[in-house]
Amino acid sequence: MRSRRTSSTGPSRVCPASKADPGEAGAACRAVPGVVARNISKSFDGVPALVDVDLELLRGEVHALLGENGAGKTTLSNILAGIYRADGGRLEVDGVERQFHSPAQAIASGIGMVHQHFKLVAPMTVAENIHLGWEATPRRIKRRALVERTAGLIDQFGLRVDPEAKVWQLSVGEQQRVEILRVLARGATTLILDEPTAVLTTAEAGDLFNVMRSLTAAGRTVVFISHKLNEVLEIGDRITVLRNGHHVVTCDAAGVTARQLARMMTGEERELSVEHRDTSANLPVLELRGVTARSARGLIALHDVDLVVRRGEILGVAGVSGNGQSELAEVLTGLRPVDGGEVVVSGQRLTHAGSRRFADAGVGNIPEDRIGTGLVRSAPVLDNAILRHYRSPELSGRVALKRRATVEFARRLVEKARVRTPSLHSMTSILSGGNQQRLIVHREALVATSAFVAMHPSRGLDVHAAQDVQAALLDAREKGCAILLVSDDLDEVLLMSDRIAVMYEGRVVGVFDRRDADREQLGLLMGGHDAPLTGEGTERR
Amino acid sequence: MTTADTPPLQASAGRSWRLARRSGVTSRQTAMARIAGVLGALIIAGVILALSGRNAPSLLGKALDGTFGERQGLEEMGLLLTPILMNALAVHIPLRMKLWNIGSEGQFFMGAWAAAGVGIYWGGPRYVVLVVMALAGMAGGAMWILVPALARARWQVNEIITTLLLNFIAIQWVAWFSFDLWRDRAAAVVQSTPVVQARLPFFPGSSTLYVGIFVPLVIAAATFVVFRSTRWGYEVDVIGGNPRAAAFAGIRVTRRIVAVMLISGAIAGLSGMLHLAGPAQRLNSSISNNYGLSGFIVAALAGSSVVGIVVGAVFIASMLHAGITLQSDGLSVYVVAAVYGLVLVGIAIGEVAARFRVVRSGDLDAAGAR
Repeated sequence: MRSRRTSSTGPSRVCPASKADPGEAGAACRAVPGVVARNISKSFDGVPALVDVDLELLRGEVHALLGENGAGKTTLSNILAGIYRADGGRLEVDGVERQFHSPAQAIASGIGMVHQHFKLVAPMTVAENIHLGWEATPRRIKRRALVERTAGLIDQFGLRVDPEAKVWQLSVGEQQRVEILRVLARGATTLILDEPTAVLTTAEAGDLFNVMRSLTAAGRTVVFISHKLNEVLEIGDRITVLRNGHHVVTCDAAGVTARQLARMMTGEERELSVEHRDTSANLPVLELRGVTARSARGLIALHDVDLVVRRGEILGVAGVSGNGQSELAEVLTGLRPVDGGEVVVSGQRLTHAGSRRFADAGVGNIPEDRIGTGLVRSAPVLDNAILRHYRSPELSGRVALKRRATVEFARRLVEKARVRTPSLHSMTSILSGGNQQRLIVHREALVATSAFVAMHPSRGLDVHAAQDVQAALLDAREKGCAILLVSDDLDEVLLMSDRIAVMYEGRVVGVFDRRDADREQLGLLMGGHDAPLTGEGTERR
Repeated sequence: MTTADTPPLQASAGRSWRLARRSGVTSRQTAMARIAGVLGALIIAGVILALSGRNAPSLLGKALDGTFGERQGLEEMGLLLTPILMNALAVHIPLRMKLWNIGSEGQFFMGAWAAAGVGIYWGGPRYVVLVVMALAGMAGGAMWILVPALARARWQVNEIITTLLLNFIAIQWVAWFSFDLWRDRAAAVVQSTPVVQARLPFFPGSSTLYVGIFVPLVIAAATFVVFRSTRWGYEVDVIGGNPRAAAFAGIRVTRRIVAVMLISGAIAGLSGMLHLAGPAQRLNSSISNNYGLSGFIVAALAGSSVVGIVVGAVFIASMLHAGITLQSDGLSVYVVAAVYGLVLVGIAIGEVAARFRVVRSGDLDAAGAR
């Protein structure tokens, strides 16, 4: 899988004699520093995001920037790309000290960035997007000429995309190519890709890696930001690890293992070991009986689903996303109306109840779009902390909120969830993503006295944060909660579950004891094949 | 790619200034920036007036003296403040949910109309009539926003358009009644209804200001308390922040939207009743002196703070009153309107300016050298 270039490939590795230190010509040739950052520091509202970080980028390398959420990867990149200004430190490009006041100045020095969330204008064409806000765009130009210029750029850089297509018609992978093309067209020699694979399918990620290889072969530098160890090892030439805003190490990718990287990233080595239990005799808590429901688009998304989640067990739901898992989770938390069948929680019929009654019945919920659904980002941390409990007699009377009790409640939650916030009255939007996640997970864990419905709870989280969430779920299991865990990640389902249900096209096509389940069989069922069951019928409900 | 157009670091060190966005703006910073905006606008207006041969400082002195220097001025200002503050609150409350009631003017008219129907045709005991008129006024205003409220809550129909357009219908509706159906036949020239017999009591010791001034003050205080420390207020603010999170928490979003908009309409309607039973006496199609618009300006500029609404309403009412004073001093109505507009622009600029601070370039260099 790994492709390592030898030092002879890439024109930039042939170093110009003028710049080489006479004494160490050989060494300098092997490693020409392009962008060098020294002692970069940056803080937001007094919370340090970067502390004296060094970064040296060589011409012609893929330099992976690895770290957990909030480690400072994006902040550092934004400083290199002229979006933020460092509080302290120096920046050199090709040996000349630079200071960027804007992204335009950074790109003029050859540093360009492709953001995690694309900044394209969806109703406009690829050609128009590439030429928007670019000095080299002629003031008056015919549509035909614009397309031709774009086609020329596409050929030059080998990034296949239709210049006349509207951006909204493109797949995510193609949109990313347009972003990369936009930056390359402006003359970037150092390209920063912020978590580029987070939004891509595996095949698209493979295409991206090929593009990255051809860019470095042509002497460009690519900075690859990720928290996925296997990707970093696959594509990176050198790796810099950041932790908590500090530089931990910069090393050759060839010399490290995934395990070592994980330890450097998290600062500790933790392995979650989960004991899988036989829970078939436990009392049922969540029950679906012949439930049918429609998706937001009005199509039948759940067909006659029967499912039971028992006390003290984790039922993992495996399946390719879009096979009814979202609707399943919503039906079980009162967020989606049911067309037919029954929903029962702890013996209580809640078929047509709303989300409040599910919460009252002790069903916690980590929704699919956690931050978009579970938080009011423009409100203080305090308001978000009490979102699910403000009606409890502890926090309010029939009319009035008990001010002091709410503050105390929020303070305890923030402490327990280890949310780093300047104050309870700070806007939630200033918290880092990881802190927002922990706030939601621990708040919902307080709701979940009888059951916990968790949809992709660790998606998009780094190793550390994902383990935090998984630990919270296991903790709930110990307390006797019935847990429904929906995940795209089969490894997570296999790791966490006591039993596994497979969904395909809105139906539960199989339920297995974890100890009887094997990966191949699950994979076949997820793909819509009837499983060639071996031996006794494992299908059990 | 050349790098020539990026200035080397040293050239810019310590010598240039630029704007940087503040990561958080305190209410104090906003207040200071707004005051600076008002002062800036007044200075510009003063310079222009001075250039056209007026004595600007003396005009400002007269304006302040005419409004705050004597009891009569304050009472007249209070008369303007009553409907402006009522309408500002009517716009503010739904605005906490990010809903714009542009129709408070129309609801004001319908409240006045409903109250007039009671006041003209029912000669009961004064205070009983007044109470029924107040209820009718609230019902009239609420009725006028009912359709926009339901359309918004059920089908996401944009309330800005519906409430705005209903203003025109309300004004024509009142014109029809005052020119024709309820017209005062006894007074042949007046195109309005007969005088409403039940009249609000005067403010203690006044013969200008009515006790109606207490109503918006009480509503403002109630609004402050509701949004600070009740479940209902918290729920409304959550809906304003993120309707999906509100639904997630089991808040009945549709109901809250309808309730908030009806309350808004009722407040605007009540302000129409107070105006009719106070200074106006007769219903006609010009009883509102653009109070809906003034209230809207206050609510839009004051942001999410109830205290800001009260301060803003007092400020706007004082400005309007000062304008009237200055007109009697020979300043044309156009000049007064221009100064008024200039001050509003100054406040709006101050609001935006508060989000930025001026920083000196070269910080990176200075810090890096240590």
